[in-house]
Amino acid sequence: MMRNDPIKHVFIWPAVLVVLAISIFPLIYSLTTSFLSYRLIPPIPPRVVWLGNYATLLQEPRFWNALFTTTLIALIAVGLQYAIGFGVALALNARVPGERLFRVALLLPMLLAPVAVALVARMIFNPTMGPLNQFLSKFGLVNLPFLTNGHWALACIIAVEVWQWTPFIILMMLAGLQTLPEDVYEAAELENASAWQQFWGITFPMMLPISAAVVFIRLIESYKIMDTVFVMTGGGPGVDTETLTLFAYQEGFKKFNLGYTSALSFLFLIAITIIGVTYVALLRPHLEKRR
Amino acid sequence: MSGQGLTGLSPWSRRLVAAGVLVWCLITVFPLYWVVVTAFKTPPGVVGGPTYLPFIDFTPTLQPFIDLYQGIRGEFFRTFLNSTIVGLSAAAIATAIGAMAAYALVRFEFKVRFGAGLVFFLLALGGYLLFNTTFGFTRPQALLLAFPIALIVAVAANRLPLPGPILGNEDILFWFVSQRMFPPIVTAFALYLLYSEIGRLGFQLIDSFIGLTLCYVAFSLPIVVWLMRDFFEAVPIEVEEAAMVDNVPSWRIFFGIVVPMSMNGLLATFMITLAFVWNEFLFALFLTNSRWQTLPILVAGQNSQRGDEWWAISAAALVAIVPMMIMAGLLSRMMRSGLLLGAIK
Repeated sequence: MMRNDPIKHVFIWPAVLVVLAISIFPLIYSLTTSFLSYRLIPPIPPRVVWLGNYATLLQEPRFWNALFTTTLIALIAVGLQYAIGFGVALALNARVPGERLFRVALLLPMLLAPVAVALVARMIFNPTMGPLNQFLSKFGLVNLPFLTNGHWALACIIAVEVWQWTPFIILMMLAGLQTLPEDVYEAAELENASAWQQFWGITFPMMLPISAAVVFIRLIESYKIMDTVFVMTGGGPGVDTETLTLFAYQEGFKKFNLGYTSALSFLFLIAITIIGVTYVALLRPHLEKRR
Repeated sequence: MSGQGLTGLSPWSRRLVAAGVLVWCLITVFPLYWVVVTAFKTPPGVVGGPTYLPFIDFTPTLQPFIDLYQGIRGEFFRTFLNSTIVGLSAAAIATAIGAMAAYALVRFEFKVRFGAGLVFFLLALGGYLLFNTTFGFTRPQALLLAFPIALIVAVAANRLPLPGPILGNEDILFWFVSQRMFPPIVTAFALYLLYSEIGRLGFQLIDSFIGLTLCYVAFSLPIVVWLMRDFFEAVPIEVEEAAMVDNVPSWRIFFGIVVPMSMNGLLATFMITLAFVWNEFLFALFLTNSRWQTLPILVAGQNSQRGDEWWAISAAALVAIVPMMIMAGLLSRMMRSGLLLGAIK
């Protein structure tokens, strides 16, 4: 039942005002700046170039490289997170022995500062003194270039992302699994369906809406990745692991190229929107079938 | 809820699954164990190669923490205080006003004309350009002038029968949550420019408590509104209806009945927001430089300053991590009661 009482405005306006002021406000500001040629160092007075910044950016290989790197990290990391997270959630839900003990430990990583996690990762991935090197050298793999080779560094960043964010998927999928009705499984039991058949026939389709939402959240969040890369490799070697946010930071905060950076962040926004809309469009037929 | 999906498995497969979970658990815990152990090592204990067991492999020492406290590696103590102050106040403010907005969205009906929203955006943009280019105001001045005008006109326009769709509560909620989708770099950079131009007018926002807290409040609100809406929807409406029959005003229903009933949810939301603010890096990187620097910035700086001084790096990382470890323990208790169930539906 919905009430109608003038006091509702007192309730909602503080939040609306703060969000308007802090997010829409700068949006207008940077949208207009993105049409200017505007630098602070060396100072160039603002000059209107309309879409000039965007055109330059689209021809800039470094931009496409950053976009590609970010997409690669996001897709692989989220894919792995989903596979591992769903698996662990299924196991926990099935009351694997020692399940209570696992729960706290498994949730920990997602609450820790990515910066601190990245620092720890740097030590673990150290090619000479790190524990991973010690472990791998037992198999004859000594001094692997974990963070100094482009491909290895990407793999390490993805590993850290998976380590940190799989708990989020576990948490959400576990909550979802607990809402599934039990009688369907009892019926399947009577039909002698194997565990494998039960999973693909019942669990997976019924978890699809939650899966879609969880993967969507992680995908969008992964595109913003910055702190982990900033600490682990700083975008290097070269620009091999440079993500979009890091690229924008370098341009904006190191070179103070204001118009260019604003255009870059808007392209980023457009890219995120395209990805989000495509994702929803791809999944909609599968989700609606079930309703 | 017993044994779904695993019932058809043989005992051997069950053991296999348990082993798999155990392996993942070890992978999760090992880095944490590593950082705790390393933080108590002496320099020789680090350089000699990886060691794992205190008192057997190496002799533990408290020296890294004493160094931290004495400020040898940057002003850790004050930064810790900064993080705590900003985190607690931003989380408290965001939870308070976010909960109020969420309650309003659950219990009251809102109608916003799409046209009014458009009017707001166009007037804010146009007014800003007009004031800036024609009347020669500085950019923040122009923005600060255009914003209230656009808002007032838009609120008035909402009463007119404008063409176009009428947006309801669901759409307002979506608007709140969609703020979270924005890449923060868009806002962080613009906010940095805006803050520094306002600073030139004599009101310092960069590297200030107000500037940082305000920004964190705005960026926590989407999560708060999203989570709190579910908690409020779970409050039985009959209780509120009974109070309304007795003519209890709405604000007293909210503060006297609804808030106490959803205390658990408020607490969990507060903690999640606190964790988010505590760990946040990008905004702090842009908006602070010395006085109000937060822990993640200082911790990230340890890297370049002290390449291989792992005992110091570990101690620093540990200081940033431990408060959240404690929170994880508290949160996981609440989660067992199915707290977050509603949030994902």
